[in-house]
Amino acid sequence: MTELVSAVNQAPAKPAKKGPRGEVKIFATWCKGCTICVEFCPTHVLAMHPNGNHPIVVDQEKCTACHFCDTHCPDLAIVVRKIE
Amino acid sequence: MSEHILSVHDLDVNEGQIPREDWFESSDTLQHLRKNKRFPTIWCSGCGIGVVMGSLIRAIESLGLENNNVALVAGIGCTARMPVYMDYNTLHTTHGRALAFATGLKIARPDMKIIAIMGDGDAMAIGGNHFIHAARRNIGITALVVNNSIYGMTGGQQSPTTPLDMRATTAPYGNIEPPFPICDLASAAGATYVARSTVYHPLELDKYLAQAISNDGFSLVEAVSYCHTTYGRINKLGSAADMMRVLKENSISKSAYDKLSDEEREFNTKTVRGVLHTKKRPEYTKVYGTLVDRVHEEAIKPRNYGGH
Repeated sequence: MTELVSAVNQAPAKPAKKGPRGEVKIFATWCKGCTICVEFCPTHVLAMHPNGNHPIVVDQEKCTACHFCDTHCPDLAIVVRKIE
Repeated sequence: MSEHILSVHDLDVNEGQIPREDWFESSDTLQHLRKNKRFPTIWCSGCGIGVVMGSLIRAIESLGLENNNVALVAGIGCTARMPVYMDYNTLHTTHGRALAFATGLKIARPDMKIIAIMGDGDAMAIGGNHFIHAARRNIGITALVVNNSIYGMTGGQQSPTTPLDMRATTAPYGNIEPPFPICDLASAAGATYVARSTVYHPLELDKYLAQAISNDGFSLVEAVSYCHTTYGRINKLGSAADMMRVLKENSISKSAYDKLSDEEREFNTKTVRGVLHTKKRPEYTKVYGTLVDRVHEEAIKPRNYGGH
């Protein structure tokens, strides 16, 4: 039993998801709250702030750095950076 | 969902904000904006013109042009507010005359890259003659026409590109005039590079704008956009995101369009995206330069010269 537990503890952590990952930065002062980024994000990284009129990052790990939100942001209020 | 958001990010609206000066440094695109201007931009929430602005900056940057070698000329309208925010040489002119001023600028400074930024009303209605004659001369200007099918700034009046049967404040029972096909007009008038894309496809716009700016001759890029505030409201087309989704569904790439049968092409109502026309013709300022040189060298007098 003890051997089994130690084996479980030594098991490697869940491998990181394949493919590129991204980091989303939002500048809320420039955002006008058009919700284009939230409605089109293919992996649902963004959601509207419940009290404010701008999006926030709710699931950073899901971002695949597809650059949809930063190229489609009409207010240039989003920057996506690819993480190595 | 909202409880989940609250638990993950219990943030105040302006908490955790990046300072304004630092934000300009956070991407290559933002570095080309004028830091002393008032942001956010003047356009309505979700307007596609901002997307075109980002595309234009990326296109100029991809060509490695110096900011001082690029001049943006704009007329009047929502689209014409675009150069105000961009850190290049800019010229804000009267309604419809962007191409007229750009022609003068190009003849004075043929080494510069001139981009005339116009809306559909600016380019097709009041500036229609400047447009066809600039295309006829094949002068090395890039005309960027942002087509939102309406006069947005003045309250949604019908423009020369309002589609048939659609409503506008000056066409409350539906438009009965067929719209101008901007790209066909430019090709027929003699433009040497004609491309079209939509604001849903900004990476395509980047590519076409870069090709248009490097083309030696009159180039037209039509960026199909939308106006959800006036046109969208009067025609009940929904929010900015809804209208952007329509652009995605109602457009077809040039390669897919070419594969359609003749019958399908005839009944196609979708916007065709792609490089629609290219041609090789001598550029106006080059021809003008050789003429000036020839006249100086040979001291040719014009036929009706009455001097001595």
